[in-house]
Amino acid sequence: MDRLKKTIYGLLIPVIILAAWYFYTTYSNVPGSLLPQIQDVAGAFNEMVSDGQLQNDLSVSFIRVVKGFLVSGIIGIVLGAVMGMSKKAHAMLLPAITAIRQVPVIAWIPLIILWAGIGEASKVVIIVIAASFPIMINTLSGFTSTPSGYIEVARLYNLNRWQTFIKVYLPHSLPQMLTGLKLGLSVSWMALVASELIAASSGIGYRMNDARSLMRSDKVIVCMVVIGLVGIIMDKVISVIFEAITPWEKIARSKGK
Amino acid sequence: MGNEKKKNDNYIINIEHLNKHFLVDKKPVQVLDDINLHIKKGEFITIVGHSGCGKSTLLKIMCGLVDYEEGVVERNGHAVAGPGPKCGMVFQDHRLLPWLKIKDNVGFGLKKLSKEEREANVKKHLELVGLTGFESSYPSQLSGGMSQRAAIARGLANNPTILLLDEPFGALDALTRIQMQEEILRIQQEEKTTMVMITHDIDEAIYLGNRIVVMSARPGRIIEIIKTNPVDSKKRGSAGFAAYRKRIYDYFFENNDEQAKNIL
Repeated sequence: MDRLKKTIYGLLIPVIILAAWYFYTTYSNVPGSLLPQIQDVAGAFNEMVSDGQLQNDLSVSFIRVVKGFLVSGIIGIVLGAVMGMSKKAHAMLLPAITAIRQVPVIAWIPLIILWAGIGEASKVVIIVIAASFPIMINTLSGFTSTPSGYIEVARLYNLNRWQTFIKVYLPHSLPQMLTGLKLGLSVSWMALVASELIAASSGIGYRMNDARSLMRSDKVIVCMVVIGLVGIIMDKVISVIFEAITPWEKIARSKGK
Repeated sequence: MGNEKKKNDNYIINIEHLNKHFLVDKKPVQVLDDINLHIKKGEFITIVGHSGCGKSTLLKIMCGLVDYEEGVVERNGHAVAGPGPKCGMVFQDHRLLPWLKIKDNVGFGLKKLSKEEREANVKKHLELVGLTGFESSYPSQLSGGMSQRAAIARGLANNPTILLLDEPFGALDALTRIQMQEEILRIQQEEKTTMVMITHDIDEAIYLGNRIVVMSARPGRIIEIIKTNPVDSKKRGSAGFAAYRKRIYDYFFENNDEQAKNIL
């Protein structure tokens, strides 16, 4: 399929939804406080940008995500790598981690609020609880799937554990770590918005809840759209960074191997 | 005594009464039974035998990747206690690291050299195996034969006294395989490296080996070591070559000529 056709197919469903939305809100009596017209949403967007509210909320949320995601990345990669290279660590950590993982992140929020309040620290903690696991699990699976033949090559050249980590395990696991980090980032974003909806005094999730209590569904929708867009952009940024550091992957893919 | 000791020093590999067991379901299974093998500098030894006869284990013991409990295994005059730079190895699946460019794969074991020495070494060995110009390619961009050339270059980069090859051409198509056999002979003549190659291909064993080690399966035992005469063994169509072939086939197929013909 050529590029143009692909774009047209991809746009089909969004256009239908927008059209249905437009006609429904124009030709029926649905109140604007429940479902606003598209132009109202655009107006709300303009309003929120011109008074700086959107930028403020977004930057507050964004900084929380970056902090939480960085901590999750470090915890996830370190734990995944340690478990991937040491059978002892694997046997000791994995059962406990698997058990903890069964509790949905939302269910942590009440306890976290009790412990850390509704400030910055609690947001970061919630993101870390949510995002560390996918990063860790994918890193672990990258490490454990390292072919034993490559590890034997490292032994043949007398590489120590650290050198084997740097030269064999880590590069082999990078593509799967990317998958984990992408998942972790989207989970970070979702967990943050959820926690801001429940308990916060700033941020994009808080703004949504605030707008809801003022019956401003147009503002709610603006926030939803912005949350989605930011998620897409962050995902793309990670992909670009990883393509730059794993050039062999792209070449192997293009050869169909 | 002193005389004998001196004789041993001349061997690149000296194996005496080597036995090796593996634990399978907590029960010891013998894989190698009383192996005695002495390999002199510059020799090309080929080892043939059924799969599972312990050939690969023997090779890995020689390079120190697998340890042994009974017997003597000496490399360059010292008991083998682990891998070392003086022993190179080439595997059937080339095992080039996909994330390293060819030049970095070839230079993988060159830890102690300066950048310039390293580059010169890699360049020399890529030239030796005919891969000049592929320095910056990734392994996925190379064909099977080229990957195996790169693996041979990596195995030789440390200037080892011995290069062990574990069915290096087993995964290649017939034409590439014959081409690679010519190449490895040329490389051996240029580098004067002692080589030990495991193969399933009896013709390959005859063509390449100064001596052919024929092994039986379970437990792996050396049945015969055939010294080849290059006049016959380097001419694939000769009567002498066919005689070697029959001699080896007879070990594996119990004098069944029909069966041997079918396989040919």
